[in-house]
Amino acid sequence: MAYKEVVVKKPLLLIILPYASLILFFGLWQAVVQFGIIPNTLLASPSQVLTTFIDKLTNANPDGATMGAHAWTSIQEAFLGYLLSLVIGIPLGLAMGWFNIAEGLFRPIFELIRPIPPIAWIPLTVFWFGIGLAGKVFIIWIAGIVPCVINSYVGVRMTSPVLIQMARTYGASSWQIFTQLCIPSALPMVFGALQLALAYCWTNLVAAELLAADSGLGFLITMGGRLGRPDIIVLGMICVGISGAIIGFVIDQVEKKLLAGIRR
Amino acid sequence: MPTDSQTRAKIVVNNLTKRFGDLTVLDGINFTIKEGELLAIVGPTGCGKTTFLNCISKLMPATEGDILIDGEEANPKKHNISYVFQEPTCLPWRTVRENVAYGMEIKGVPREERIERADRIMELVGLKSCADLYPNQVSASMMQRIAVSRAFAVNPDLLLMDEPYGQLDVKLRFYLEDELVKIWQKLNATVLFVTHNVEEAVYIAERVLILSNKPTHIKAEIPINLPRPRDTISPEFVELRKQVTELIRWW
Repeated sequence: MAYKEVVVKKPLLLIILPYASLILFFGLWQAVVQFGIIPNTLLASPSQVLTTFIDKLTNANPDGATMGAHAWTSIQEAFLGYLLSLVIGIPLGLAMGWFNIAEGLFRPIFELIRPIPPIAWIPLTVFWFGIGLAGKVFIIWIAGIVPCVINSYVGVRMTSPVLIQMARTYGASSWQIFTQLCIPSALPMVFGALQLALAYCWTNLVAAELLAADSGLGFLITMGGRLGRPDIIVLGMICVGISGAIIGFVIDQVEKKLLAGIRR
Repeated sequence: MPTDSQTRAKIVVNNLTKRFGDLTVLDGINFTIKEGELLAIVGPTGCGKTTFLNCISKLMPATEGDILIDGEEANPKKHNISYVFQEPTCLPWRTVRENVAYGMEIKGVPREERIERADRIMELVGLKSCADLYPNQVSASMMQRIAVSRAFAVNPDLLLMDEPYGQLDVKLRFYLEDELVKIWQKLNATVLFVTHNVEEAVYIAERVLILSNKPTHIKAEIPINLPRPRDTISPEFVELRKQVTELIRWW
């Protein structure tokens, strides 16, 4: 019994609407700058940004590194921080959701640390790690771990109580219930955490790079500000936006593949 | 499978009492189930049927009394107890076959045997064709069949069923009840079937216990010695159904 995917034909309007909205957005933006409604010193037009982008691909001036170098630095920092927050946050959240000892031990500390904005850690981070890679990874880690813990915790908590009862009557141990029922039940929430944590990490990247740095997309933005170059600022912002969207899309696709059986 | 008086008592429930603070829900329930018997329990709405089952299955500690399986205190880790719930309890991330094998997996049945037993039972209930599908791809009645198959697959000492067909329409219900009787006869399991549907109880059971209102005790016991397959419009059937209905009526 194979299942055929039902193909629903979308109306043409719905297909073109996302493109139309993007074109309209960039068109308006270009027009606003081109006709001087907003002076060029305050905002760069999309075409200027594109020119700067092409130039920056090979030119390290005026901020000291090429586009590729900036992106590479940022990706390294963001991914190290992201991976660390997943590796520590997800198991911690899962354990907190099922084992009372883990919850009693970590919940109070977590609740206390959670409301502190990641950038508030910057001064301490400088003391601890200096201004190298480690400090920035730490800030990003702090930012990413929060959604990992919360989502995994809630995911485990949402495990259907009837499923747990069912397993109990068969004589399942607490560990069996945790690994065989709670973790699979929590997976959709955990995948949600992958998305959320990425967003948190990526947005805090800029903040982390405010910390003295010599390359990175966040650094590019701050340098643009210091040099009075709106085109560089906007270029940095757009790069952060586009690369974040791409990574989000990739995670979404992986999630769809892996959770095929769970999604209704 | 007709029971004869020589069949030994498989399950003995002694003075089962459950109190929540001042509220007595179960008040000294005593009964036995013979090996291979299909016993139905009916009672008025809100008489504590679920509490009753949760105590028997040891999901909930009883305030007083014992539940003995083969003369030993019931223990889910030692005895094979299966529980089919009212709502479907399939694991959505496992295929139908893996769901049917889940109980055996917890019991530590070796892989080969699990697959073989699961396949045999799925054959019996007509799940074979969808063994590799996921639960979200099968209908609601199929989901309940998966739970029933999983329950039978562990060769249960005691199989508890809590209105498993309560949410299905009449035609499908009769069909699944026939199927249940068929598997039960074939596998010779000891079944405790709880329902509020009098007709269902009289249709499938060998003996019906009627519960009272809270505090709940056993009000009456009616043996159903009708030949199978049972005819729901035969005078004997109607008579028994009336008798049971009369005993649980609260209006």
